[in-house]
Amino acid sequence: MIFIKIFLIAVLTVIFLLASLSSRFRTYQRVTLIFFYLFLALLILFPQKADKVAEFFGIGRGVDLIIYLAIAILSLTVAILYAKLKINERAITKIVREIAIMKSRKCE
Amino acid sequence: MKKSDTAIVIPVYNEEKVIKKTLKELLEKRPQDEIIVVDDGSTDNSYNEACVKGVHLLRHIVNLGQGAALQTGIDYAKKLGCKYVVTFDSDGQHCADDIERFIEVLRRNEADIVLCSRFLGKEAVNMPTAKKYLLKMAAFVERVLTGIPLTDAHNGFRAINVEKFPNFVITQNGMSHASEIIDLIKRLGMRYKELPCTIKYSDYSIQKGQSMMNSINILIEFFLGKAVK
Repeated sequence: MIFIKIFLIAVLTVIFLLASLSSRFRTYQRVTLIFFYLFLALLILFPQKADKVAEFFGIGRGVDLIIYLAIAILSLTVAILYAKLKINERAITKIVREIAIMKSRKCE
Repeated sequence: MKKSDTAIVIPVYNEEKVIKKTLKELLEKRPQDEIIVVDDGSTDNSYNEACVKGVHLLRHIVNLGQGAALQTGIDYAKKLGCKYVVTFDSDGQHCADDIERFIEVLRRNEADIVLCSRFLGKEAVNMPTAKKYLLKMAAFVERVLTGIPLTDAHNGFRAINVEKFPNFVITQNGMSHASEIIDLIKRLGMRYKELPCTIKYSDYSIQKGQSMMNSINILIEFFLGKAVK
């Protein structure tokens, strides 16, 4: 048990460090991330405690709570990514249109 | 050369076989109009084929979609100082003789946008039956969604008064721009009119046209686009 815990915490730490180093976050995002990291680390260290938290929210088991959370977070991520993609697409459209008009020519 | 108040915008995507013929016919019948060809990042030789004497040639360096190509053409038409924009398909299914009737309606200020319907008046030439019912169904869905009673929602032939409606901007890059245009008519309060027009279904245009499955994609695209806006 102890080995898998160390392994999971190590993976979590690496992901957290990569995430916080590679992209520019705002302060409130950083704070949220740290709290999230601590929350997950605690869950790995004391999995039984997850049941207590789940009970508090009226959900059967701790594992269920984690699954629900994961689905919610993933859905949110997809929505955010889709919105960003659309913003990107609009920017590209603008650039391509500008170039097309700039390089327009009348055929002779 | 005298300046015209009418621009004909033709979006082109991989139409090297027919574009020259379409353009030559247009130039012959509408020599006074500004003809704007927007090559939407074709991977074939369309860009060079479209270079017929007298046309304005624009090119998207990457493929964006027909909606984006139309909007680029409209932007350019405005830059040239044109009041009216006619959108025309590149594959030769529309008839250059119909343009004058469309523009006349705009000139007489009877409507702000004139749309072509292949279901008014005489039947379209050689239209496949499945396609006919699909288009009628699309028009019905659009009627229910927007409350605008058009008989043929997905037709590339339109005439728009862009001088009066500078806000007429297509933001949906893909094929769902047809639905967006109906949305724009409603939002901007444009007066619309449908006129019959001839559509020639050649083997070429049937093969190139929208497939059945794709129409479902278009619908989804339209709703997603609306949600994000």
